[in-house]
Amino acid sequence: MNNYYRSWPITLLLTLISLPLLIMFIFQIIDNFTNPAPGGIWPSSFTLEHWRFLWETPKTGESYIWTVTFNTFIFASTTSIMVTSLSMTSGYVLSRLDIPGRKIFLAGLIMLHAFPTISLIVAIFLTLQIMGLYNTLLGVILVKSALELPFGVWIMKGFYDTVPWEIEMAGIQDGASRFTVWRKLILPQVQPGIAALLIFSFLSGWSEFVLPLVLAPSSDVQVLSTYLSALILDDNKFDFNLFKSVGTFYAIPVIIIYIVFQKKLMNIYGGGTKG
Amino acid sequence: MNRINWFGFIFISPVLIMVLLFFLTPVVMTAFFSFTNMSTSTGIKGGEYLINQETIKEIKKYNIQNDTIEKLENAGYSINEEGLKIISEKYKESLSNEIKSLYFGEKFSNRKDLERALKKLKKNKIKKTRDRKEIAEIFKESIINERFDSKSIFEENLIKLEIDQNDRDVIIKESYTGWSWTNNNFKLIYSLPSSYKFAFYTLIYVSFTLTFNVVFGLFLAISTFYLPSKTASTFRTIWFLPRILPPVLYVLMWKWFTWDTGFISQMSTYFGASPKNWMMDSPVHAWTVIVLINGFVGASFGMILFSSAIKAIPSSMLYASEVDGANRWQQIWNIIIPQLRWPIMFTTAYQTLSLLTSFEYILLATNGGPGRSTEVWALAAYHTALQNYAGNLQYGLGATYALVLVIIGIIASLFYLKFFNFKDLVTKPRIEG
Repeated sequence: MNNYYRSWPITLLLTLISLPLLIMFIFQIIDNFTNPAPGGIWPSSFTLEHWRFLWETPKTGESYIWTVTFNTFIFASTTSIMVTSLSMTSGYVLSRLDIPGRKIFLAGLIMLHAFPTISLIVAIFLTLQIMGLYNTLLGVILVKSALELPFGVWIMKGFYDTVPWEIEMAGIQDGASRFTVWRKLILPQVQPGIAALLIFSFLSGWSEFVLPLVLAPSSDVQVLSTYLSALILDDNKFDFNLFKSVGTFYAIPVIIIYIVFQKKLMNIYGGGTKG
Repeated sequence: MNRINWFGFIFISPVLIMVLLFFLTPVVMTAFFSFTNMSTSTGIKGGEYLINQETIKEIKKYNIQNDTIEKLENAGYSINEEGLKIISEKYKESLSNEIKSLYFGEKFSNRKDLERALKKLKKNKIKKTRDRKEIAEIFKESIINERFDSKSIFEENLIKLEIDQNDRDVIIKESYTGWSWTNNNFKLIYSLPSSYKFAFYTLIYVSFTLTFNVVFGLFLAISTFYLPSKTASTFRTIWFLPRILPPVLYVLMWKWFTWDTGFISQMSTYFGASPKNWMMDSPVHAWTVIVLINGFVGASFGMILFSSAIKAIPSSMLYASEVDGANRWQQIWNIIIPQLRWPIMFTTAYQTLSLLTSFEYILLATNGGPGRSTEVWALAAYHTALQNYAGNLQYGLGATYALVLVIIGIIASLFYLKFFNFKDLVTKPRIEG
């Protein structure tokens, strides 16, 4: 049906509209390796000095980039593993088992899933202080996982729902226990869901900003998002090229994961379930 | 049957515990905190009893007996290490030692008694009355500035000072440094003009961003639908990147784009304008940038949802319309848009809720400025309770701001529950234990 309309006007219009984004992306990369001419923004000479934060030892009071990266990795991966493994079991229960109170659990799941978690930040901050988990990586990990869980359980339940009942019935007929059926027969069927959720919650943890900012502000538990934002807010060294290089360093894992796992991730993003 | 139930509960309990502790507890606690006057100065974990000059000022406002303040200030005299140390520094060490050997640990209810005792010193006679007076004053004890952990000990001390019941209650109430229950937060929010401003800004923020998201998402979905698939997927990738990138980096790119050393300023110099901060120089610019920052992320949400909905339209419908002579506008208006009714409604409902409570991008971009012209409700809650320049964080008031959002969230979630086809969801499992 596209035969008698030329597509170039639309392409042109879309390009024009996308121009701000394109300019930002292009300069984000160019500025990592160049210095602008004085008083301008156009690149004039090649340099690697914007990456010096990778090898220079930081001054006292500043965090070392590799420590921060390590914290970020621990935070993102632990959250991801916790969310996925707990969702794997609970999703199965809610999808397949007739436990008492199932209706309430499901209704609660939908409600929590829709609930805007960021509005809880004040109470979470105070609760963590009372619990003594304030300013620890463990505290942020637990909170982030708990807030992500309703979404994870929801996604996993969706994947379990698509597995045919016949597989399970056959397993039970052959005398296997429910646990064996789940582990040996059902889990392989929902592997795409597990992978997607692992990746998604890793990315979500890697990008998280407000929770670490509020719940773990001290410098030894800093993550890359708070490190970068503190750098930008520091008036003493205003250097966009440095900010951008740190930003690129921060975003590299995200971009790689996105390129490699694009199709798997689209299962979740395309579900239109979480903004 | 029982065995299966146990299996199910073991499988689901970790999630229940986590959600209960870190998700449902904060929901309840928001309401709890909003009825307190918790702040940096009261602390979170309860407080102690302390009378200082501030407290005395407050106490004087009540209808108390004339001599109560005096009683508080003069709680008698006692010979203790602190006083002796001052004596040895100010006078002679031998004097200090003699007082210590004679009277250490003793208490005197008034100054005259102590002066009489000081007269009895043998080795270091204090000749002048004025000196005796001065030395006695050093050992003066006062309940002022002394900290008490528990109410009962504090009250006992007040009773010792012969302060009557009525005044004791006033003093106890005013000298407590911890938090207490109050409904002042609600009154305050209701009476403050700034809360109406925050609400108004939130309205601006949500309505403009939402409109941008839906219209732009529709535009992207429909326009890429008509493009060859390679070009289309290139554009979709470009528009999807803002969603993938970490917010801190994404907003950093916008800062570079709009600030005075950035792209727009550079371009405008070619037209003779001087560089300026296009994000922060006026409220209108700040709002424009904020709507764009959020909109460019939000548009991709609509784009994905609408794209897949358009793909689901049977192509025979589109062919048929073309055979009937419909042009593209008619095709879009009469066939595609009506088919997108549900996705559009879903996007609107969903994004309204998340925009109402979100403040991450505003915090990163303008932090509520210039002035407080982009301070939305959720950001006000954050600033009140968790970060402000004054340093006195008002947890209780901030929680009250947050409570409004939590209640909206609960109502919206209930609505969501109805919206969903709940019966489908709870179809009984086919294998019974």
